[in-house]
Amino acid sequence: MRETIPTIVYILATALATFGVRVLPYYTKALDKLPPFVGRAMRLLPIAALGPLVFPGVILDFSPQWYAGLAGIGASFLIAYIKGGMIFPILISIVATYIALVL
Amino acid sequence: MKGSSTQESLTFARGVREGFPICVGYFPTAMAFGLVCRDVGLKIWEAVLFSVTNFAGSGQFLAINLLASGALLLEIFIGVLLINLRYLFMGAALSQKLEEGIHGPKRLIIAHGTTDEVFSVAVLHNQKLSWPYMVGLQGVSYAGWVGGTALGFLIGMVLSPELQMAVGVTLYAMFISLFAQELRQKGIMVLMVAGFSAIMNSILILGLSMGSGWAFVISMLSASVFGAIIIKEPEALP
Repeated sequence: MRETIPTIVYILATALATFGVRVLPYYTKALDKLPPFVGRAMRLLPIAALGPLVFPGVILDFSPQWYAGLAGIGASFLIAYIKGGMIFPILISIVATYIALVL
Repeated sequence: MKGSSTQESLTFARGVREGFPICVGYFPTAMAFGLVCRDVGLKIWEAVLFSVTNFAGSGQFLAINLLASGALLLEIFIGVLLINLRYLFMGAALSQKLEEGIHGPKRLIIAHGTTDEVFSVAVLHNQKLSWPYMVGLQGVSYAGWVGGTALGFLIGMVLSPELQMAVGVTLYAMFISLFAQELRQKGIMVLMVAGFSAIMNSILILGLSMGSGWAFVISMLSASVFGAIIIKEPEALP
């Protein structure tokens, strides 16, 4: 599967999925009056995506030292929540995971 | 009809000026994306091509995550399509604000540059949006996104071998950082929606042994419907 499909195909497929939904409303009037419920659900999709992007992967990836990933994201959550930003929280999470792995 | 005297016209320079904060905001996020691409095993041109052709933060992060977990092409395609469905809503609003005479390739370019941040800046103007303004606004944002991806990838190349052991956590740390920022800005509903989808995904994968791609799609969809039911006031939305 992955071996037979080059990465560029995945990149172009996701580009197509993205471009498709971006272009459509510029060429049709049908979407100008979306039901409010549908609009709300669409706007929530990126937040709804965050949960499954982290769990259960962050635990499974570090099994049997399942706590290492949790230590990492715990550290990055605290820094990101207090200070904001992404680069520093990510660097801190690497350090926390490393410490948890070697302890 | 002339606009009111307090309204500055929407020139290219104005677009660049308003896009600059977006560019500054995109840069570190795109760097994180470049870093993760390298970690997952992509080449630098693939990471940059990702950002050039997709130009969509959450969609790209999702794609690279599913790619790393070995999901099928169709699963990734549907996942990215769903996460980007909100652009239907944004595009519908922006297309109605464009000046007359913006057709063909110009519309395609504006469509490609429609991101959450570009949308929220552009949609606030009371005037019609001109082509030069949109090029400035979107162009400078695009430069930040693509440039940040390349630099993030290059920085990943100089990390020490010891740190590379723990670098597997970067993808998760990135999502958690995004989550923390959303939580801080928009409050408890972010926790409810993301928590719902996290639990649902864990049950589908661990309890029902479902493939990661489909489990993701089902969790994301059901959590956003759940959110749309419990959240009525638009100001709490992203």
